[in-house]
This record gives sequence, C-alpha cells and structure tokens, in this order.
Amino acid sequence: MSELEIQVAAGVDTAGGAKTAGRGRVTAVEVIAGLLAALLIIAAIAPRLLAPGDPLAIDPRAAFGAPSWTHWFGTDESGRDIYTRVVDGAHDSLLIGLTATVIGLGLGAILGVIAGTLGAAVDFTVNRFLEVLFAFPGLLLALLFILVFGPGPGSAIVAVGLSTAPGYARIIRAQLIRVRSSAFVEAATVQGLSRRRILTRHILPNTLAPLLVLGTLGVGQAIVWAAALSYLGLGAQPPAAEWGAMLSAGRTYITSAWWMSFFPGLFIVLTAVCATALGRSIERRMRHA
Amino acid sequence: MPRPGILRSAPRSATLAVLAGTAVIGLALTGCTSAAPTGDTATAVEGGTLTYASGDAEPTCLDPHVGGNYPQALVSGQFLESLVSLDSDGTVIPWLADSWTVSDDGLTWEFTLKDGVTFTDGTALDAAAVQANIAHLQDPATGSSTGYLALAKVTGTEAVSDSVVRLTLAQPDSALLESLSQPWLAIESPTALERSQDENCAAPVGTGPFIVDSWVKQNAITLVRNDDYTSPPADAAHDGPAYLDSIVWRFIPDSASRYAALQAGEVDVIDNAQPDTITQAEASDTIVHLDAPRPGASNRIELNSGKAPFNDAAVREAFIRSANVDDAVASLFQGSAARSYSALSSVEPLGISRPDLFDYDPDAAAALLDEAGWSEKDSDGYRVKDGVRLTVVFPVSTNQSIPAEQSLFEQIQATAKETGFDVQLTKLDLSSWYTALGSNAYDAVSAPYTKVGPDVLRILFDSAGITPAPSGYFANHAQLSDPELDSLLAQASATNDADTRADLYADAQDIVLEGFYILPLYDQQNHFLLSSAVEGARAMPTVSTPAFYDAWLTS
Repeated sequence: MSELEIQVAAGVDTAGGAKTAGRGRVTAVEVIAGLLAALLIIAAIAPRLLAPGDPLAIDPRAAFGAPSWTHWFGTDESGRDIYTRVVDGAHDSLLIGLTATVIGLGLGAILGVIAGTLGAAVDFTVNRFLEVLFAFPGLLLALLFILVFGPGPGSAIVAVGLSTAPGYARIIRAQLIRVRSSAFVEAATVQGLSRRRILTRHILPNTLAPLLVLGTLGVGQAIVWAAALSYLGLGAQPPAAEWGAMLSAGRTYITSAWWMSFFPGLFIVLTAVCATALGRSIERRMRHA
Repeated sequence: MPRPGILRSAPRSATLAVLAGTAVIGLALTGCTSAAPTGDTATAVEGGTLTYASGDAEPTCLDPHVGGNYPQALVSGQFLESLVSLDSDGTVIPWLADSWTVSDDGLTWEFTLKDGVTFTDGTALDAAAVQANIAHLQDPATGSSTGYLALAKVTGTEAVSDSVVRLTLAQPDSALLESLSQPWLAIESPTALERSQDENCAAPVGTGPFIVDSWVKQNAITLVRNDDYTSPPADAAHDGPAYLDSIVWRFIPDSASRYAALQAGEVDVIDNAQPDTITQAEASDTIVHLDAPRPGASNRIELNSGKAPFNDAAVREAFIRSANVDDAVASLFQGSAARSYSALSSVEPLGISRPDLFDYDPDAAAALLDEAGWSEKDSDGYRVKDGVRLTVVFPVSTNQSIPAEQSLFEQIQATAKETGFDVQLTKLDLSSWYTALGSNAYDAVSAPYTKVGPDVLRILFDSAGITPAPSGYFANHAQLSDPELDSLLAQASATNDADTRADLYADAQDIVLEGFYILPLYDQQNHFLLSSAVEGARAMPTVSTPAFYDAWLTS
C-alpha cells in the first residue's frame, strides 16, 4: 500500500512542483505509452484483430516450443500459442485493473469526503478506521476477502478494490482539507454563501478532479495486484489466459521454457508502466492547464 | 514394485570420514558408538543431517491415525513402525511382529511381538500397546479414515500374553496383513496416545529409528536419531541405530524452488519431482532419480455417478471418449509416466488393464451424447438438454496434483470442450477441496488413494464408501452403488484362495471399467530426486514412502 500512497501522494500533493519540462509538448514517453495503451485497448476489446488464433486451442505435440516465426512468443506446456494468450489476457487484466480501481476510488472518495466534511468526530472515527486497515498490508486484506468469499475473477476485483480504498480515502481527505482552507473558499465564505453551496460548487469539484490522475496511476497497481492474486491461484481459473495465471503456470518450467513466464511478466510490467506514465502526463497537463 | 534402494560402494576410509564428518558438523553423538558394520554397509558413514524437501501438503497432524493421508505417511514412516512390512516381491515380512498365525476359518489372528522393543518414551511394546492402537484407530473421536476403513472387520482384540495379541474378525479378511503393513496403522506408544489429540499430533511417539524433536509449522520438522533403536524391518540393510544424526523435513510447495534447492545443495532429497526436472536430473551426475510408483489405485479421474450428468453411463462414456489423454501424457510427462488403463496401480499383480475402453474417439462421444438427449448446442458450443448446459464441475487439489497434472486436466478440458462438455476446473487448497467433496459439489475429481493390495477396490467402489468415515472423508468419489460389485468385493476380501481372489477382483474391475466410472491416467507418480551424496535411501515396498534408516551421507 505504502508504495502506491507515496507514489500518488508525490504526484498529487507536490502541487506546483517545478516541472517546467515540456508543459505543452508531447514527449516521447507519452507517445510510446499512448501507442501501447491504444494497442492494449484494442487487444482488450477486439483481441482477434491482433491475434486471430484461439487462445485455448491446445496442440500437445507442439508443447514447450521456443519463440519462432509461427509462435512469436513460443508455446506453453499444452502447445497453446503464448502470443495469442497474452493478447487475449489483456481483456481480463485491464478489466480487473479498471474495475478494481473504480471500486477502490469510489469507496475511497466516499470515505474521504465523509471524513473531510462531516466534522471532527466523524473525521476522527474514519481516520482511526483507515489506520486499522493500513495496519494490514493491502494484499493481505485482499487475501482475507478471497478466503471469505472464495476464489475467482469477481472476488479478485472486489478484493483489490477494497484493499486500495484506504489509500485513496486518505489522499482525498487531505486534498479536501487543503481545498477547504484555500483562499477562494475563504472568499466564498466571506461572501456569505451557504455551506452546502461552498461544498458542492467549490470544494468537491476541486477535490475530485485529481481522481482522474489517481485512477490512472492506480490502474497499473491494480493490474499488478490482480496478477499477483491469479499467480497465487486465487483469481482467474484455468484455462483463462490471465497474465498472472500464465506467469504462475510458467514458473514451473522457468529453467527449461523461460518464454512461458517472460512474456506474460513483460506485459504486466509494460501495462503498469504505461498506466503510470499516462497518469503522470495527465497530472502534469492538469497542473499547467 | 519400487526399486529396493540405491547402494553403492564407497572408499574404505570410513573411519576417517566418520571422524571428519562428526567434527565438521559438530553434532554430539549421545553416547552411541558406531553400528557394527555388517555386509555391504561396511562403508556406511555415521553422522550428519539429511535435509528432505517435501512438495506434499504439510500435515496438520503428524499422527497418521488421525485422518490418514499420504503426506502424513511420508514423514511418519521415519518415526513410527508397523506390525509387518513387505519385501520387494510383495511378500509379507516381520517388523514389530516376529510371527503370526491365522485360524482355519480366517476369523482369529495371533501376532507374536518382537522382544525387547520399547517406544521412545520408555513404554514397552506389548500386546496391550497393540490393543490400545487398534482401539485408538477405531475410536470415532480419533477421526481416522484410512486406518479405520482398513480395520473395518476387526471386532475384538485380546492380550493372550505380554507378547501375543489376538485379533478377532467379523469376516475373514484376505487383506489384513497388507492393511497392517501400512504407515497409517503404525503402532504408537499407548502412554503417548493418552495425551490430548493436539499433543499427540505435534509429536507422536513410536519405536522408529528417528524421534520427532520439533515442528515449526510452515517450515520444518526436525527428527533426531533414536539411539536405542532395535526394531528394523526384516529386509533392512543393517541393525542398530540409524546412521544419520538427524533429518530436517522441510516443506517447499513450489516445485521449481524445490528442485533449485536440491541443485544448490541446500536439500539432499526432494519428492514430487516434476517431469521436466526428472529429465534434467537424469542427465546429471550429481542427482539420482528414484521412481517408486505408489501401490493401490491408479491415478484416475472419478466421475460422480451419484448425480446428473454422470448418473447416465452414456454421458460418462462420452466424457471418457472425448478426452485426449494419450497426447497430453506424452507431452507433459515426457516419458516419466506410462498411460494406465486400469483401476489399480501397475505394481498390483491383480490389476487388469482394458485399453480398449479408453480410446480417444470424439465421434463416438458425440454420437453417445446425441442419443442421451444432449443433442443441442448453445452459442458457446456447449451441449444443452432441457435448458441445462452439460457442465462438469472439477475441483482440483493443488496440493495433490503437480503442475503437469493440472495442465493435463486443462488439456482434457480443452478436448472435452470440442465434444461439448463445459469442464469447470477450480484450483483449491486441500481443505477447500475436502469441503467441495464433502458437500457433493463435484462431477469429476482426481483423488489419489494409496493402499497396499487390491482391497483398495473395496475402499473406493463399495457402496459403503459413499458414507463418510468419522473424519468426514468418503472414498467412493465415483459414488458407485452396485450390489453385484459389493458382493464380488466382499467375497474377494473373504477368500484365502489366491485364484478365486484373483478372479473375483478381475470381475469387480470389469464392472468398474466397463461402467465408465473412472478415467485412468497413469500410476500415482512418486518420483524422488536425491543428491548423489545420499547413499542407502530407499522407498518402502509398502506404500513407497522414503526410508532413511539405512541412509548415510558421503560428504
């Protein structure tokens, strides 16, 4: 959790940080990340465009094939084409990543706003509650949830969402308190606007806008976590071509067939990096808009 | 039958090596002199710690009376011993019992115990101790399944004298000696059995060559040598205490890590070796492969005939015909496993093999399903009947199936899909898996069952096996309920005539195989990889668990 928290906090709270480099210009990183994101989205929506084969089609005689012209990423222990499976897995991984982030952000926003607006007593209670949640490593919370509700993609999504929520809640609360004490809110108060109007017209819009940045940054983390759960056999179930599950299957053969774990692993990393790069870029543009 | 172990000659400078080894390792020998060298073990080196890494699930209880599964047998064989054992030909040989007699009607057995044996807590091994063990196994509070089922016919025990114990049976049991040879019916100290179950589970007390010293859960069990050991089985290679000072019994569930630990010299022996690592190991000079298929049942997929869709024999046959097992076994096991067409392990002499029944034939499968009313297909290509999809729920125990086997199930899932079966694999840990079976939430399952001799058929396929044992476990996963089969198995178990017994078991196996209740895959795989520094280790001819009593380390 702390990793995400630091990462996100650094991104959001160093407002006005001297990032003079390329305020309007499109950087090479952005181009690459954008292209990759576009490819991943195509893979998620229409995998057959990029990989026409069947990700579940087995061919035992072609098992453990090294990367070649016919099988770009090689084949796995059942002779399935790893390239096709990696492309097909984008759907599950992105879906889990996005949905989990939406759940985490949504819950976090609700908790954060409650803490930041309903007075000191509520703020105190919510904060203590969040501290209890922070005491557990995030993945442990997710494991606990899966233990209770059983393994599967659905519970993996909710589990990752739940375990990222405390981090978001805290950031949103901090942002809300910062906005509340800003000059324009003071000005609105002086003008005699009602509390409700100040909250809905001034505080909330300025608090919740950075959610887009948080969310984009969070997707990468959520994908890694969802892959971790599948790696442990708690997320996607066979024969689903989910990256974490593929990584886990490849681990057994890592000494003899490195490609089985390398390519799914590479795409988990690329997707997480890509989401983070895009998140940073959106954040920078919002600052300078 | 498992290979009787690997013994090779070593340099004669044994004494020096003993001294050097002892000094280097720095472990105190508690007043014990080295065993008198006899026969071909003259070069054995005493001392040292052997580290074993198990890929099986860590037992929750080290007393194999409680429950009674293979992971328990693996470790308990180091510190507990049985009344009898088997030699490598399958002949019953003395162990804690020196001799035994059976009455003409087969209902009364008398075992004469070895003299002067004490448990490691000082309690003497006598007739009363054996009585206490049988009572413990039969007590529902113990929660035994394997031992409980094996003793189903024993109705009474009696101490004829201090060293002679008599068992009275309700019906003759041709499998009694085979049953008693198993680690799950090992004899424990009656004093120790009086402790609470939790205490006894943590450190059972037996007569074996090693003693449970400590158990750090999720990590390792430490076993130390029993310096007063006097009771090796009749086929052991030496007398007196074991050579090793201690055994560290670790649990490394991940197969790649386990093999890496062996390569790095961090551990000396691993079990559950993967097919790809076996191939690598066989090319290596520093690792020795010990292949010891388990006796009893073959490794098979059992089809739950107790509920739809597999309550229809045609659907069972269709599933079996639609599964391409041969190609999967060839590619995944790379020659380390041979396809089985039998309900029994290939080490069981009475097993019959029926390759004709298990051909991969998707056309025949499709025709069978059409006839059985599963003729329509939904948009995903799965067959439906009255709006219900042809679904096969298949819980997989990740503790009991190695990754290659899990991949095999995925390949069966893929080929059965072509015929229109929706096979739903769910990977579960052992306790969730038991829960799934207990709640009848499965259509197909692969559950290993190890038992010495063809009597395993009675455990697995007698209709009585649908009712759970006190532990909650039931063994008849196919939920096969056939009075004719029950009767054949009962007769086979009651007869002492070898030919009649063979015929009855053959007929029983025909019913199981021709009814398509199971899809045999291969023998229960049991591959050990040993560092070449380990000498004298073997797999017991009973249930192929490793034995380190005769083992020693060359360096």
